[in-house]
Amino acid sequence: MTLKECYAKIGGDYEDASARLMTDNIVAKFAIKFLDDTSYDTLIKSLDSGDYDEAFRAAHTIKGICQNLSFTALFNSVNPLTEELRVGAPSSQDLITKVTEDYERTISAIKEFQSAI
Amino acid sequence: MNNKNPDKQKILIVDDSEMNRAILSEMLGSEYEILEAENGAQAIEILQKYSIEISLILLDIVMPVMDGYEVLKIMNSKRWIKDIPIIMISAESSPSSIDRSYELGITDFISRPFDASIVRRRVVNTLLLYAKQKRLTDMVADQMYEKEKTSNLMITILSHIVEFRNGESGMHVLHVQAFTEILLKRLMQITDKYKLSSADISLITNASALHDIGKISIPDEILNKPGRLTDEEFAIMKTHSSVGAAMIDEMPFYKDEPLVKVAHDICRWHHERYDGRGYPDGLKGDEIPISAQIVALADVYDALTSERVYKKAYSHDVAMNMILNGECGTFNPLLMQCLKDSAASIQNELNSNSVLHHSEKEIKNIADEILRYDELSSSQQTLHMLETERIKNDFFYSVSTEVLFEYTVLPSTLTLNEYGAQKLGLETFTLNPSEDENVLSLITSDDLKELSRLIHETTPENPVLQYDCTLSAKDGTKKTHIICRSIWSMDETPKYVGVIGKSVEM
Repeated sequence: MTLKECYAKIGGDYEDASARLMTDNIVAKFAIKFLDDTSYDTLIKSLDSGDYDEAFRAAHTIKGICQNLSFTALFNSVNPLTEELRVGAPSSQDLITKVTEDYERTISAIKEFQSAI
Repeated sequence: MNNKNPDKQKILIVDDSEMNRAILSEMLGSEYEILEAENGAQAIEILQKYSIEISLILLDIVMPVMDGYEVLKIMNSKRWIKDIPIIMISAESSPSSIDRSYELGITDFISRPFDASIVRRRVVNTLLLYAKQKRLTDMVADQMYEKEKTSNLMITILSHIVEFRNGESGMHVLHVQAFTEILLKRLMQITDKYKLSSADISLITNASALHDIGKISIPDEILNKPGRLTDEEFAIMKTHSSVGAAMIDEMPFYKDEPLVKVAHDICRWHHERYDGRGYPDGLKGDEIPISAQIVALADVYDALTSERVYKKAYSHDVAMNMILNGECGTFNPLLMQCLKDSAASIQNELNSNSVLHHSEKEIKNIADEILRYDELSSSQQTLHMLETERIKNDFFYSVSTEVLFEYTVLPSTLTLNEYGAQKLGLETFTLNPSEDENVLSLITSDDLKELSRLIHETTPENPVLQYDCTLSAKDGTKKTHIICRSIWSMDETPKYVGVIGKSVEM
């Protein structure tokens, strides 16, 4: 699996990321590093415990990473959730479900890419 | 990444996401020494340690513990913001958050997603801009320093010429200058009636050296007459004050310079007396400029304590009594107060040879002095000294097997050395310690309050404080002796800024 194919699976913008981050190596390095990022776990845990400040910061961090790495699909789902959390509890479970789906798809594609290199 | 090359510029990256920090640090490459903080509080901790050694900060807005805005506020209150450029990097790209950041003093704003080449470009540009500005500031400061040194020197040389003719040692001018400065500083402490600033004090002190320049017009046989002057001779002698003022008035240039105006006042009116019985104008009370009043007092004290052809030198105590008893004319009661309050430092100045050293150094070794300062510009020297102090401090902190602590008021932070943190079961760095659970379980709130009260009662003159209490450390309760010292700002009215100290088990 190439990095480009990985991005296609994620629903990310490969051209944008590699142009901004200069080299494929850097994009690949940080895409893989995203596997270790704990923000998603923090997001889910703090949503469960009702700590929406913490949840907001975690969502905000994921949003930032998605922007940096051009994970467009995950960005599109985490962005509206971030905005809802900025003012308090999320209005419905749907946004969270969508984030979880996109997150898992992103993670599994990156893992697949990682095992291929 | 954490390359400790001292020649590399230090860039501090503040972002709660490790990935974001890593990406930024990767983008900046190995040309810089990268420091990282995962929230605002850590950023402040690093800033407290390195201060203006940090060349640039990349700052995120949304972070746990302390956010980016809060960091900017503290940087404003600490005045770091003037010297350290900040580039805000955030996914918060609403106009209001960008506006707010600029208002708080950031240099640039980059919104996510960022482009490696843009980040690099902007960082380089900002660093260049600040480096240029800093070089210019340094150059101006160095030049001002040199200029002021040179002009002080010129004033001293000029007044020595006058005294040389007078057959005096040259000590008179230096003494009057020193006494003037001591009295002025005290006056500024006890009243704000005369609205004296530190700049005024140095101006008056410098100008005081010129008080007797009018004596250049007095004929030798009167000036150096070894006995009492006749009335006629005394009348001529008395013209030295108005002649001195006229000499300054007739100067074709620099009429509006503050130094020239102050020098004029001092020359003309340093023989006026508070009750109106002086000369040449018979001015009364505060009609006499405060500069001239002070120099008059300094002049009288020095005349009494110096040997003259017609009299021996009186001791400090005798001179003080004569002045305070009104035997040498009437002076402003506030100045009498200053004289009494400063008696010890005045006596010290009279007896010490420091003035002599000072004059020798200043006048005989001009060339050496200037050469020495040219080697290293004064501002570079200061920075160098700061860095050395910090290294020293860090070293002793890390190797000490005593509990050492430092508390700063703004922001309220407690820093402990490694050993201390371990011993007390605290973090090495605690934000808002008075609200911190771990701190509160260590010391009772009564003890904390009492300690805080006692610290607030210390003064810059008397900053050391000892306190005994019981600390509940993790290995049991310990009777503890705390010795600490309050730290004060360099402002004219010193402000309490923190405490350093250590605690010892008893």
